[in-house]
Amino acid sequence: MNGINGHTPEGKYITLISNDGFEYVVLREATEISPVLRTMLRSPFSEARTGRCHFPEIRAAVLEKVAEYFHYWFQNKDKDDVPDMIIPVEICLELLMAADFLGLDAKPEPTDREVNRGDNLAMIAARME
Amino acid sequence: MLHRSRPNRAGRRIMGPQSALTDFLASHNISAQQIRQDVEQRRRAAQANVNDENEDDADEDDSVAQVTSAASEELTVSSSRATRATRRSAQIEAQRKKEQQAIEKIKASKKFNKRKRRPSDSSDDEEEIIRALAQERAKPLPGQMENCAQCGKRFTVTAYSRNSPDGGLLCTPCGKELDKDNGAAKKKPKRVSGGAVGRRRQIQSKILDGTYTLGGKSLMTLCIETLAKNIELAEGLGDLPAPIIDKIARKLSKHRLMNSQTLSLFLQPTADQVYIYDASKLNSSDFIRIFQTVPNLKKLKVRCGIHFKDEVMDYLISRNIELADLYLHGSNLISEAKWIEYIKKKGHALKSLRVYWTDKHFTEDVISQIVATCTSLERLKVCHNQQVAELGVMELSMINSLRHLSLDLRTPVHSDAYICVLGDIGAQLQTLSLTRVPEVDNSFLDAMHNKCRCLKKLRVTDSEVMTDAGFVRLFKNWENPGLVFLDLQKCRLLEQHRHRENPDHIGLCSNGFKALMEHSGKTLKHLNVHGCRHIAASAFEEVFSPDKRYEAMEKMEISFCEEVTDYVVGSIFRSCPNLRELNVFGCMKVKDVRVPRGKILVGVPNARGMVIEGEEDF
Repeated sequence: MNGINGHTPEGKYITLISNDGFEYVVLREATEISPVLRTMLRSPFSEARTGRCHFPEIRAAVLEKVAEYFHYWFQNKDKDDVPDMIIPVEICLELLMAADFLGLDAKPEPTDREVNRGDNLAMIAARME
Repeated sequence: MLHRSRPNRAGRRIMGPQSALTDFLASHNISAQQIRQDVEQRRRAAQANVNDENEDDADEDDSVAQVTSAASEELTVSSSRATRATRRSAQIEAQRKKEQQAIEKIKASKKFNKRKRRPSDSSDDEEEIIRALAQERAKPLPGQMENCAQCGKRFTVTAYSRNSPDGGLLCTPCGKELDKDNGAAKKKPKRVSGGAVGRRRQIQSKILDGTYTLGGKSLMTLCIETLAKNIELAEGLGDLPAPIIDKIARKLSKHRLMNSQTLSLFLQPTADQVYIYDASKLNSSDFIRIFQTVPNLKKLKVRCGIHFKDEVMDYLISRNIELADLYLHGSNLISEAKWIEYIKKKGHALKSLRVYWTDKHFTEDVISQIVATCTSLERLKVCHNQQVAELGVMELSMINSLRHLSLDLRTPVHSDAYICVLGDIGAQLQTLSLTRVPEVDNSFLDAMHNKCRCLKKLRVTDSEVMTDAGFVRLFKNWENPGLVFLDLQKCRLLEQHRHRENPDHIGLCSNGFKALMEHSGKTLKHLNVHGCRHIAASAFEEVFSPDKRYEAMEKMEISFCEEVTDYVVGSIFRSCPNLRELNVFGCMKVKDVRVPRGKILVGVPNARGMVIEGEEDF
């Protein structure tokens, strides 16, 4: 997570902002699971500089659950037999959409290729600047 | 007893008339009055005893005795009203005090606090709880008599006597009635996970399913599971992307929840694919509904589609739908004529046709029709088929567009038929899967060596006549690039008495294994040499020596390779850094092997059966 092209990350935490203006502060390391967020935070764009990510498609109730999932994932990273997180039925479908958007799908461990792709994207973007 | 009963009997004679029962009892030397006195005495003694005990306990329970004794005192007070009028006010005062004390005790007791905390008790009213507890404590003790609160009958109180909803106790028949009334509501939901053993079993089952991972499930999986559990609440799935809908469909089928109602969720008019993984609960009209609601259907997959029969085929033929991909599993009620008609009308659009589990009706004539009309067919899979034989296989060589061919036939087919296919279309095949071909011999391997140039997936199983030399010839200097998937399971000598000697080197043995790893080791992701028991330990050690690396390898199956030892398993883990799962069922020389973290070793011949991870990471 050392800065790429001179951008140093702002700190241990980043902020996720929902479409209705609610903000959730999440441990930066815990968002590593999402390839989308990872790419976002390594890009030379404003998200990486400020550590604030806007999600105009996701409302607060859903984003809150997403933030909860990030910490759930981070805490249980290398554990066996992890109890399932409880998903409220009423936001299940919206959460499913958000999970798809953030790339939180069936394989929890990001592959090297994906990580590399994220880096490459950042590099290309940096060069374009 | 005797000497006590005599004066009583004397007294009885003076008194008035007696009932027949009393007379009868008297003749047997039993006096009702005596019994009553004894009982009273015993009860008093018991009461005193209980009081003593409770004071010893010095806990909540002594307030029971106090409240009960307060009650009994009240009784005595009321019975001797007239004489003690002056003492009465003082006594009431004392009683109130006692009650107050009892209430204090109840308030301090654990039970009270517990009840107060219990969330299900909607009323937080302290007084109500106190009243309930006091009533509970004032109840008659087991062994005493009491009148039933409902029917008024007198009965003996036991530890199992039920409380009446409006206070008091119920006799056994009334209690049973009450049980019957709210029995269903009382039944607690069964706990799913049964402690450590249940958890361990679940982990082992996940390992065998191949879904085991460290850490929590992905958010998507969690959502899909929740959705599958509550599918009856869903009215529609909205505009979710197709891969997610497919995942939901898989999950539902796993729970056997796919039926006429849930099918509607997956029928989106704009979609071009419908995958049904368990259609056993669907009927013909449901299948017809698929074609009615999804007019742009291109890919259809139906597993366990028993009711996919002639009338459905008729409908499909009559519509404007032209499927590019058809996958039917278990559709045994489609007749031969209907197959031929369908292929004739719609076969030209088919790119992929997969048919599983058919007994009589998917015949060689159907194959002929496919050859004649399906000019763009790239993938053909015919599995568990009892009709297609040598001629049908030979005909396949005329489908020039074919890229992927899988056959699992129940009829004996000679090598020559397969060689004929390879001769014509071998050069373009990417997938070749021949399951259960006991007669196929080295000549087929040689034909592959000569013809195949872009094969990625190869399966040849259960051959009883191929030899080690044949495999060496196939892999040595083969111009085909490295395979990605290779399954040579059970290519071995089948002879009961001398199978260990194997003088002719039948089956995949040491040299063949070395040659194959030399040729494809770098690209193989999935290798299955299950039951190739003549591969020597030295061959394994040579192939997986410290200087060899097989980065691509993800899954290996070496079950029933008898020579595999702890050392070989360790070497495999060292040489294949990306290996996820290794199966070693029946490798009896594997005893105590250390498994790197996150890897799965299945089938170790000990009580544990499966080892997931050790302390050591290579």
